[in-house]
Amino acid sequence: MFSKKVVLVFILMVGLSSSAYAQNTFTKMASEQPTLVQEGKAKKWCPVCGMNLKMFYKTSHTAKLKDGKNRQYCSMRCLAVDSHEHNISLSSIQVVDVNSEKLIDANKAFYVFNSKIKGTMAKVSKLAFASEDEANAFAKKYGGEVTDFKTAFAKANASLEKDIAMVQMKKEKKMYPMGKKIFEKKCQNNIDPMAYKEINQLKSAIASDDKLCKPLNEKQLQAVALYLWEVKRVKESKDGVEKVVDKDEKCPVCGMFTYKYPKWVAQIFYKNGKKEQHYSFDGVKDLMKFYFDANAWGNYEDAKKENIEHIVVTDYYSQKAIDGAKAFYVMGSDVTGPMGDELIPFEKETDAKTFLHDHHGKSIVTFDKITKEDVFKLDK
Amino acid sequence: MSRKINLYLIEYAINALFRNRSKNIFIMVVFTLLTALLSSMFFITGSIKHELQSTVDALPQIVVQKIKAGRHYDIDTSVADEILNITGVSEALPRVWGYYYFENAGVNFSVMGIEQYAQQYKKSFDTVVNKFDFDELDSSKQMVVGEGVKKIMEKNYYNKYFNFIKPDGTFKQLSIAGTFKGDTQLESNDMILMSTQNVREIFDIAKDKATDIVVKVPNPEEITTIASKIKLLYPDSRVITSNDLHVSYQNIFDYKSGVFLALFTVALFTFFMIIYDKASGLSSEEKREIGILKAIGWRVDDVLKEKFYEAFILSFLAFLVGILLAFTFVYLFQAPLLRNIFVGYSQLKTSFELPFVFDIQTLFLVFFLSVPIYVAATIIPSWRAATLEVDEVIR
Repeated sequence: MFSKKVVLVFILMVGLSSSAYAQNTFTKMASEQPTLVQEGKAKKWCPVCGMNLKMFYKTSHTAKLKDGKNRQYCSMRCLAVDSHEHNISLSSIQVVDVNSEKLIDANKAFYVFNSKIKGTMAKVSKLAFASEDEANAFAKKYGGEVTDFKTAFAKANASLEKDIAMVQMKKEKKMYPMGKKIFEKKCQNNIDPMAYKEINQLKSAIASDDKLCKPLNEKQLQAVALYLWEVKRVKESKDGVEKVVDKDEKCPVCGMFTYKYPKWVAQIFYKNGKKEQHYSFDGVKDLMKFYFDANAWGNYEDAKKENIEHIVVTDYYSQKAIDGAKAFYVMGSDVTGPMGDELIPFEKETDAKTFLHDHHGKSIVTFDKITKEDVFKLDK
Repeated sequence: MSRKINLYLIEYAINALFRNRSKNIFIMVVFTLLTALLSSMFFITGSIKHELQSTVDALPQIVVQKIKAGRHYDIDTSVADEILNITGVSEALPRVWGYYYFENAGVNFSVMGIEQYAQQYKKSFDTVVNKFDFDELDSSKQMVVGEGVKKIMEKNYYNKYFNFIKPDGTFKQLSIAGTFKGDTQLESNDMILMSTQNVREIFDIAKDKATDIVVKVPNPEEITTIASKIKLLYPDSRVITSNDLHVSYQNIFDYKSGVFLALFTVALFTFFMIIYDKASGLSSEEKREIGILKAIGWRVDDVLKEKFYEAFILSFLAFLVGILLAFTFVYLFQAPLLRNIFVGYSQLKTSFELPFVFDIQTLFLVFFLSVPIYVAATIIPSWRAATLEVDEVIR
């Protein structure tokens, strides 16, 4: 009696756990040593995004460049990115078969597109199989449709822009700050990302040389490499703008103290010969009123349009100071500033579009397209 | 307006106070106790409000939890990446944490997992992360505990390490690497920080799961929009904004304040009774005094001034002593008895000290509730007596 119960419970438990975890059993990681076709120490990582190839082995693709060098990517997305930069012959592309984990000719493979498995560096996954039966069986279990390489690749290319934007957002908000922290704490200050051709070479240099960085795990290594490769290498020349608001500054248009409204501060910086000065406003609307006709608001002889050095506005979402001349402005939304209806500034056009949609805005304009009539219409 | 204060009048007023010693001492004592009671209640509410406010301020703007069958479940860490893609979100961090009930002391510890290089959602964590390296703490099996937690552990003879009991019944021993001071008292009194991996082990949380996700939104006006977007994206989630939490904390506090209000009314009512008693008339002796003063040549305004000095000296002295008493009672002795009215809302929470909050407004409030009223209650009947004919008063 007792043993029967135990057996029953045991069977039940095994059955339950296997069905409950069926979806979780699929990983993209290689179960044994992955086949790596690149040369040198850097072969462990994708040359485009720097990710570990073993971890994303089952979505991995390889290609031969015209000069005969092999490259191996973490995903079809990176292959697509690289195909725009290098001349890759499509016939040379190979892909990892999910079941056998061996490289097969991509053009002969069967792809399962848009299954429940998440994509690597992309929203939708593309997994390859050697035979149609295997692909169908997989699609039955995890969903998705079976197609060939050409269609899958075309779709990957079509969604490339969106995928890049999605990954970029994650990088900016998460990976770069993390990489920066690790870099400052664990690494030598003098690592020069310019000295490396590809991100995977940078990674292998950091990983193999303890002098550059103290030992890092794979995730930390990736964060540092991304920070060095995509932020330090690019950004050093770019200088950000800043807000400078004193406590006694009043908006020349409405007379209110501007420091009380840090969310809305907008400023014009003038350079008159050697003399530098600025005026602060509690919103873009007042700034524009002043910009169009400074002397309508008092004696501002020195505030001439040709002396404007730069204009600073506050990005609505990030609350950071941005260049007003390059910003995008949404008009007619339901968000109001200290002075009522406002022109809401955004650094990125996509952000402006989201805001327009969320807050029932009427139009998006750039700085040079804002007219005097539009600005005064906001007050009506 | 360059009239000087007449020192003789003040001297006379002080002498007059001493002449009616027993009566004035009685008034002084009542007055002192009253201001002490009033101001200590204001101090306690002020401190608790401050503590609650800083607790709420330290809370993340949005917390996302997974709800299954009406209960809180572990959430997929990948949800954080999806939330990060929403415009207006600057950070989305999966948190791994939980309450660990320490039976011997009858308290709950908040055991919090820290990722060394991720963004921290609390300022106090940033300082901790700068001081300790949680990667190293992980490999050396160590943790950082709040100052209050350390005391509780020491009381139970855990001086160097602590044994956590894992869900499977085995022990997980972690040694104490050091202590930290939180943003709030509550925080330093119940929080234990360790590497995320250790927390996962103690609470048996899977690698791709987290307790909840905290979201940072730079523009507070966008919080509601973003919260509704998350809710749309994950219908099985509970999205709590800092505003919601603020309201619920406030509710608890307001409920407790009701009790306070009852006490306050009683105290104030007593005070006004005394005042009314005084204002309703002077004793014949006092009336005669005013009459004699007038007969020897004092003017009405001299009499009133003298009475003003008398009342002001008495009430202001009582006020000062009362405030001092309240300060010692509340901040030195941590307000025994009285604080229990407010701090009863979570028995399991470890106790906290009332933080010192100096609010000049409270002092002014107590001042204007007591001193001017008493002064007026002394001057008005004196004025009435002083304006009467002298012979009428002393006859």
